[in-house]
Amino acid sequence: MKLLDEIKRRKIFCDGGMGSLLQARGLKAGELPETWNLLRPEVLREIHEEYLMAGCDIVTTNTFGANRLKFPAGGEFDLKEIIKAAVNNARAAVNRAGHGWVALDMGPTGKLLKPLGDLDFDHAYELYREVVEAGCEAGADLILAETMSDGYEAKAAVLAARENSSLPVFATMIFDEKGKLLTGGDVESAVAMLEGLGVHGLGINCGLGPVQMKGIAAQILKIASVPVIVNPNAGLPRSEGGKTVYDIDEEQFGAVMEEIGDMGVHVLGGCCGTTPEHIRELVRRCREKVQTLPEEKNRTVVSSYTHAVVMDRDPVIIGERINPTGKSRFKQALKDHDLEYILQEGVTQQDHGAHILDVNVGLPGIDEPQMMEDTVKELQSVIDLPLQIDTSDLKAMERAMRIYNGKPLINSVNGKKESMEAVFPLVKRYGGVVVALTLDESGIPDTAQGRLDIAERIYNTAAQYGIKPKDILIDALCLTVSSDSKGALTTLKTLQGVKERFGGKTILGVSNISFGLPQREIINASFFTMALAQGLNAAIMNPNSEAMMRAYYSFRALADLDRQCGDYIDRYGKLPAEGVGLGSTAEKSSLPQAQGLSAQGAKGPAGGSLGVRTAMGLSDCIRRGLKERAQEEVKDLLKEREALDIINHEMIPALDYVGKGFEKGTLFLPQLLMSAEAAKAAFEVIKDRMAGTGESQKKKGTVILATVKGDIHDIGKNIVKVLLENYSYEVLDLGKDVLPEKIVREAVERHVPLVGLSALMTTTVPSMEETIIRLRQKAPWVKVMVGGAVLTEEYAKTIGADQYCKDAMASVNYAESVIVQKERADR
Amino acid sequence: MNLRETLRYLGYRGHKPDEQTLSLIEECWRELEGAAVKKALYREFPLGFLDDGRLDMGCFKTKSQALSKNLADCGHVLLFAATLGIQADNLIRRYTRLKMSKAVVMQAAAAAMLEDYCDEINEELKQAYEKKGLYLRPRFSPGYGDFPLECQPEFLRGLEAGKRMGITLTDSLLMVPSKSVTAVIGVSSQKGDCRVKGCESCPQKECQYRRKAI
Repeated sequence: MKLLDEIKRRKIFCDGGMGSLLQARGLKAGELPETWNLLRPEVLREIHEEYLMAGCDIVTTNTFGANRLKFPAGGEFDLKEIIKAAVNNARAAVNRAGHGWVALDMGPTGKLLKPLGDLDFDHAYELYREVVEAGCEAGADLILAETMSDGYEAKAAVLAARENSSLPVFATMIFDEKGKLLTGGDVESAVAMLEGLGVHGLGINCGLGPVQMKGIAAQILKIASVPVIVNPNAGLPRSEGGKTVYDIDEEQFGAVMEEIGDMGVHVLGGCCGTTPEHIRELVRRCREKVQTLPEEKNRTVVSSYTHAVVMDRDPVIIGERINPTGKSRFKQALKDHDLEYILQEGVTQQDHGAHILDVNVGLPGIDEPQMMEDTVKELQSVIDLPLQIDTSDLKAMERAMRIYNGKPLINSVNGKKESMEAVFPLVKRYGGVVVALTLDESGIPDTAQGRLDIAERIYNTAAQYGIKPKDILIDALCLTVSSDSKGALTTLKTLQGVKERFGGKTILGVSNISFGLPQREIINASFFTMALAQGLNAAIMNPNSEAMMRAYYSFRALADLDRQCGDYIDRYGKLPAEGVGLGSTAEKSSLPQAQGLSAQGAKGPAGGSLGVRTAMGLSDCIRRGLKERAQEEVKDLLKEREALDIINHEMIPALDYVGKGFEKGTLFLPQLLMSAEAAKAAFEVIKDRMAGTGESQKKKGTVILATVKGDIHDIGKNIVKVLLENYSYEVLDLGKDVLPEKIVREAVERHVPLVGLSALMTTTVPSMEETIIRLRQKAPWVKVMVGGAVLTEEYAKTIGADQYCKDAMASVNYAESVIVQKERADR
Repeated sequence: MNLRETLRYLGYRGHKPDEQTLSLIEECWRELEGAAVKKALYREFPLGFLDDGRLDMGCFKTKSQALSKNLADCGHVLLFAATLGIQADNLIRRYTRLKMSKAVVMQAAAAAMLEDYCDEINEELKQAYEKKGLYLRPRFSPGYGDFPLECQPEFLRGLEAGKRMGITLTDSLLMVPSKSVTAVIGVSSQKGDCRVKGCESCPQKECQYRRKAI
């Protein structure tokens, strides 16, 4: 009988703890348990057999920590041999017991993935792939990825299992009592991602006892459409006379597990501290219970690494601003690989209330797959909203889906055969909800009927790939109403039809409707309300538009989606009556939501609010670090004076003043940086102006900055970057944990005059030294400045640096002496 | 909120902050209090002094004169770990991208918060042990003075700190989450001098962040 058949009718039982049983048999603290697969196979067989005799169905191999990081090539033990022996030991026990399945056990790698730690997603995938291949070769029956405390790592493990084997894959996560992963993800986000990746069962293990797991199990059962697994510890641990003991016994363990089984959990077992006795009691109580597979929950869900967004009655706002169409500044940012600008677009939309961010970085002449990957990585390292991957470049789509930390929204597929053949396999492989445009080879039908027919064809074709209707959002499409006066009605009718005919979910890019008309917001907002009334589930729109957000908040209040109008009152209750003029955008109004990060600077003591401007020049604003005020001042100044004049006679002197104060010890780092940020904001205004007139500001020269290989603490380097940019240097920031080769390659290719390196720890100074040595060989013209907590003047000399910079101002001064003065000398 | 320590980490050396910085510090503490997921773990091991001068801490052996001095009359050690969780790192990373001034203040506030948290747990332990007639020595962390960082993998494994509190190591032995501490706390039947702790016990006397005696 196969596991996936058996699970349809009865509870399946996993085994219990392994570590404590091995310790009881003589495994020493610090000894790697996996080595016993080879050294003491008889012990492993005995333990597996005890569990099987206690009634468990699934024995897990002793391979929790068996990966290339712990067993490097050429070490004392061969990884493949360890895994093979582990599977053989479990298989021998199964053969002797006459029943059971062997689960290849995969625990966490022990390292955190980037951007949290230093392990690449691809590297994590490779580590798991190796284990999967060895386990399959040895004849495992299923794969169990367990004790995963990071969803991203779980994704690497499950993807490796799914792509390199045909075995059933189970995955269990370790949640705390609040239902959170150590990396912050909640239950719903984990379930969405794992189901998207096609696991055959999912659940929770370790960390808690069965009592504490009940609530989390209930949450999972409510939303999961695949069998649910619960493998708790033997209770909550405490230390007694140097030994770990648990707060409940076998009897209590079994009793609570029976309750969990009765709640509907399909696979039951144990983790740390549980023994064959615990499993025996559990099996005794649950053996006769019948069960069926969970029903399809039919929920349309996407997720980020922290939370999920459900598309149902309550409409979802997808921010459309990360898109270069019609935006010259955005195009420039793409050409310059200016991720900071793109990030800012994302943050602003989040501050204004977007639930999901659309990401479109397509521009002729750029490497879109690379740009898409970089952008998605950057966004998901800072912003916790789910992303909508928006591209027609299939390579870019796949790259982004692969490294995405969650279950993404995909934009888009359409009714063309070619499109479906290309996109559906990706959706099936990586999981995701896909936007389906109701157009095909013959274009966009004029009628709702025509569009619904295409929708039906899309649903049917998706089903052939195993993609469920819940993972498809039908885009009813809207054409500009100025060219077709029936256009809006057709769209609305299509929305209605998708609900009625298929019970499906819908999405719409709302802004197209007003193309070619004046005051587009007016039409957009009304159309948006009409679409919402037809049950639109998600809108791709500009959340920075206050008119649109008003339509959204009003609709929710009117449609019984905002209890006691709480959200509406929160947002608009405090506004003065005159603050609600039509057509004003949130960026200009004083809405509380609009004041995310960007409003910080305005709240200072001397600043006052934006409305009450007292006489204060640009240079004062910069000295005091008042960002918004500085922007206003520079706009005023630009009416009368040349950009360069403003830079040289207002901004630079202010920066010098602050820099000197910092050096003298009368001003401190936060102030120095607030001033720098105010100056930067003012520069942005000037840059926008110059982009309009085709001028550009001359940079003094390029400086490469990098935090060296092995070091992931880059705060100091980033401070230096902010200041150097203020002083008109072009900074090429290579990031953290940067290989010496990469630094040398960039220095040579761009022939830069100066490289700045940072290192925080004594353990990473050697890679700083190595970088310097290589730079001397390949780029002898380069000056090298170094900084970081453990460095001193003397230490810097011994590793061959040209200059030790004790702080950020010192690096600016050194750059001035190397680059500016040299230039003068050359002249 | 521990303003004094936050300012020390920001390099204020006794100077008063301006109002804008002060409100930024308050804001950072508020956000951190909301985000941090504090966890602490400790486990007692018998302490052995080996003939070759090394110390045997149960789950690892190490050599450090400073630590040997610190543990001179101890029979046991507590291996201690604490963290603010990856959520503190997330905040710092977020502001590193969006607002550097806030990132540096956040970084300082998190360092101060972690130290306070360690002190709090340490104090509880101290009182619990004193009831048993035992006395704790000051916390001493790998990386302080000549106590090598190389023991970190075994140290953390001995506590199961990866699984139980999410502390991992990079290839160069830095802890992630970065706002994490590991420390050895000596347990002795003799009352000892407990005044010198953490910062003051470090030999880097010229460090600009060094705590000044009050």
